Amino acid sequence: MRKRLKLILIPVLLFLFTIPFYGSAYTIGLLIALLMYSILAVSWNIFSGYTRYISLATAAFFGIGSYVPVLGWPELPFPVLVILGGVASSVFAFGVGFPCLRIRGPYFVILTLGLSELTKYIFVSYEINFRGMIGTHLLGGPSMEAFYYWLLAIAIIVILVDHFIRQSKFGLALSSIGGDEEAAEAMGVNTTRYKLLGFGISALFAGSVGAIIAFRWTYIEPTGAFNPSLTLQVIIMAIFGGTKDFRGPVLGAFTLTLVSEALGIRFPYYYTIILGLILILVIKFFPNGLLETIEKLVRSNTWETQNVRI
Amino acid sequence: MPIDVIGRTFIIGLGIGCIFALIAMGLNLLWGTMRLLNVAHGDLIMLGAYTGYWLFILYEISPFRSAFIAALVCAGIGLIVYKILFAKSLRKVASLETLEANSLLIFFGFGMIIESVVSLLWGANVRAYSYLTNNVRLISISIGLNRLLSALIAIVGCLLLYTYLQKSFFGKAVRAVIQDKDAAELMGIDTRKIYIFCFMTAFGLAGFTGGLLSMLYAFTPFSGFSYTIYAFIVIILGGLGNLLGTLIGGLILGLIITFGVSLTTPGYGFIIMYLMFILVILLMPAGILGKAIR
Repeated sequence: MRKRLKLILIPVLLFLFTIPFYGSAYTIGLLIALLMYSILAVSWNIFSGYTRYISLATAAFFGIGSYVPVLGWPELPFPVLVILGGVASSVFAFGVGFPCLRIRGPYFVILTLGLSELTKYIFVSYEINFRGMIGTHLLGGPSMEAFYYWLLAIAIIVILVDHFIRQSKFGLALSSIGGDEEAAEAMGVNTTRYKLLGFGISALFAGSVGAIIAFRWTYIEPTGAFNPSLTLQVIIMAIFGGTKDFRGPVLGAFTLTLVSEALGIRFPYYYTIILGLILILVIKFFPNGLLETIEKLVRSNTWETQNVRI
Repeated sequence: MPIDVIGRTFIIGLGIGCIFALIAMGLNLLWGTMRLLNVAHGDLIMLGAYTGYWLFILYEISPFRSAFIAALVCAGIGLIVYKILFAKSLRKVASLETLEANSLLIFFGFGMIIESVVSLLWGANVRAYSYLTNNVRLISISIGLNRLLSALIAIVGCLLLYTYLQKSFFGKAVRAVIQDKDAAELMGIDTRKIYIFCFMTAFGLAGFTGGLLSMLYAFTPFSGFSYTIYAFIVIILGGLGNLLGTLIGGLILGLIITFGVSLTTPGYGFIIMYLMFILVILLMPAGILGKAIR
């Protein structure tokens, strides 16, 4: 199994690392979008997928990260801003997570939605009252290739982090919160600490992606940076792929980004309608995600499976 | 703040509060009875507003009449949505949490479809028209006739629905399902009928509200989301499943927003609203009346 994994992984990584040398600008642009959504979906899944606290705060994390370059560019260099973007988001997540993570179920969902909108309007009124204008241009940033390699590096890190979390006590704790929080608490799991840590890690990656994408967009304003539809896209991707581990969100991000790219070119006016339909159909017919559906199909066709699972 | 300004702000706040209560009523009915998180509620209001707008522009039908037509349109949509998306899955519910989470995502997709269809059909530009804008004097306060009438209709509508659910046999059955679905079924209540009633009433109320709102505020295909947020705030203030609480919650929200805006600059309106929303969830998740069902 390990050998097979290496056989797939090495060419894939080789391809990903060398593509800027021969790929067209369009390919790199598309890959940047794919990596951005993959990172956001995996990082959402680290907290929400395992604990089942459905957080709609991704837009807030992303937006805060993307406002760090607005404040720090060009005084600070690009790498520092990317890291600071992640750190700022993470600090925000710890600050609001402490009171908010006590709330459960649908209340938590709409609480994070409100939180996201609140941060958006705080930034709107900051821009109106203290800067006198809405929106900032970020000029003279690094090249497309630089964005690409930074996102690739963050994507690899977030997948490794997810992998290690899943194998550690931390991952077990997060999953036990998703299973039955009261039982987990009774068994001595410090649920508050783990939830807070998961929330913070999730924000770290979303924030650093926000800082990079701010340079890619070159123009940043609050309604774009704190767009709630980004959150929902990311959640749809993760649930569409499956929330068991990082493979689901990555699969979901790739499939849906490519599908909406294809639809967006062919039917630019209908693609949000089609996206809405896809969401409804997926929840109705594959509530466990695409990955599990594929795995079931593969499993029923191979020999080795019969003694793996009962 | 001089006393007459306070009085004026108070009356305007109450007027807006009645509308808020009506916005939230339908959503609370659906969320409270069936645990369906209808995030598309605001989009249905937006659809109702477009119905009112076109009926007025094309046929000059008064919004007070077209609101009922909008209600019928949305109730019809409610029946279809129930039949196609929820009739089967509501019969074999795994757990309340999964139902709430899944319905949230399904309704989100549904709302996205409404938004894109509307903006595709009629464009994304801002729509508004004026009807009955002449002012009437109330003691010493002048207020737009359309605002006064729609506030009165809203409060009467809320009270009618509340008394119907409180007093009639069918209303009692609905409340029994809110309290304990299994026990209600054992008592011989046909929950399917209750569900259809709730779906059609909730969607119809959204359409009705939209028809009234169309003459008060400008709207776009994307206005729905903020209506949903208002509805959530009001429901949480008043308590989940508590319709009288919703009325009180709406009035309180109306007062807080009007006073908040008149004491600060209008730019802070949204900040005050969301801040209050967050504080209410954090500090009193059971609502101000403290009688939410959970």
